[in-house]
Amino acid sequence: MLVPIKEELLVKIAETIGGEDARKIVEALREMGSATDDQLSLKTGVRLNLVRKILYRLYSHSLVTYDRSRDGKTGWYIFHWRLQPEQVEGFIQTQKRRFLEKLCTRLEFEKSHSFYYCPFCSVRITFEEAMEIMFRCPKCGRSLGFFDNQPIIEFLERKIEELREELGMRQ
Amino acid sequence: MPRKNDLEQQALQIIASHGKEGIRQRDLWRALGASSREGSRLALRLERKGLIYREQELYEGRWTYRLIAKHQPPTFDSLVGVPCIACPDSDKCYPGGMISPERCERLEKWLLQNAAKAASKNPGEEVAEQ
Repeated sequence: MLVPIKEELLVKIAETIGGEDARKIVEALREMGSATDDQLSLKTGVRLNLVRKILYRLYSHSLVTYDRSRDGKTGWYIFHWRLQPEQVEGFIQTQKRRFLEKLCTRLEFEKSHSFYYCPFCSVRITFEEAMEIMFRCPKCGRSLGFFDNQPIIEFLERKIEELREELGMRQ
Repeated sequence: MPRKNDLEQQALQIIASHGKEGIRQRDLWRALGASSREGSRLALRLERKGLIYREQELYEGRWTYRLIAKHQPPTFDSLVGVPCIACPDSDKCYPGGMISPERCERLEKWLLQNAAKAASKNPGEEVAEQ
């Protein structure tokens, strides 16, 4: 059976947002159409509090939504969750735009600074910061070495170009 | 037997899933389990509806069409593994802020790993050699 592209994307997104458990929950929702948190917990084996946490997280990105009904016996609300695949495209575009802005800021920072690095602690600091602490690692005290950030600059430029192209912002 | 619209929907989905590369018409009807006659009519219908475009191409000495969806589905591949997507502080992150793209440790780790991968060398080793 063919899986609609947007639902397939939703699974990928869920995995990035909430890991393996989120993937299981979205796959279960895809199968069931609509389900309560209890039903999802039973189906996926994910703890109920974690199911709720993941659902709220996905809800904050509008990737899932719910219908509310009242329990006849207890009077409590029951939430019936379902996927919102129609929101996927908007979510992806927004995330790409936000990430692109962050990468551009970072690229400027990388281009305008020199860096020093401790290979033992994987600590990288700017020249100005290194000078203040006499070119010693702030964690282990060993001597810091010059760090060539050209590969980082090149990687950032490539990623920025890729995102711009996907967003139709090619210069 | 699938309805005409179902088949069109399925065909469009298959074509769209092949992205900008598109798919050869013959591969499409094979994937759908349809005949070549049905397949070419289906492609024509989708083109008339403005959902795809067809490019003629020579394949194994025979002319065929490559079918490409006009509206490309969004891709998430460029964001897979990106720390900012799952970051709880993402909304508080801005240039010059307490949490910022310049100083973020998660972004730093991701950058170091990916830049090293892209350059096929480990920055730690590179620095250690210096």
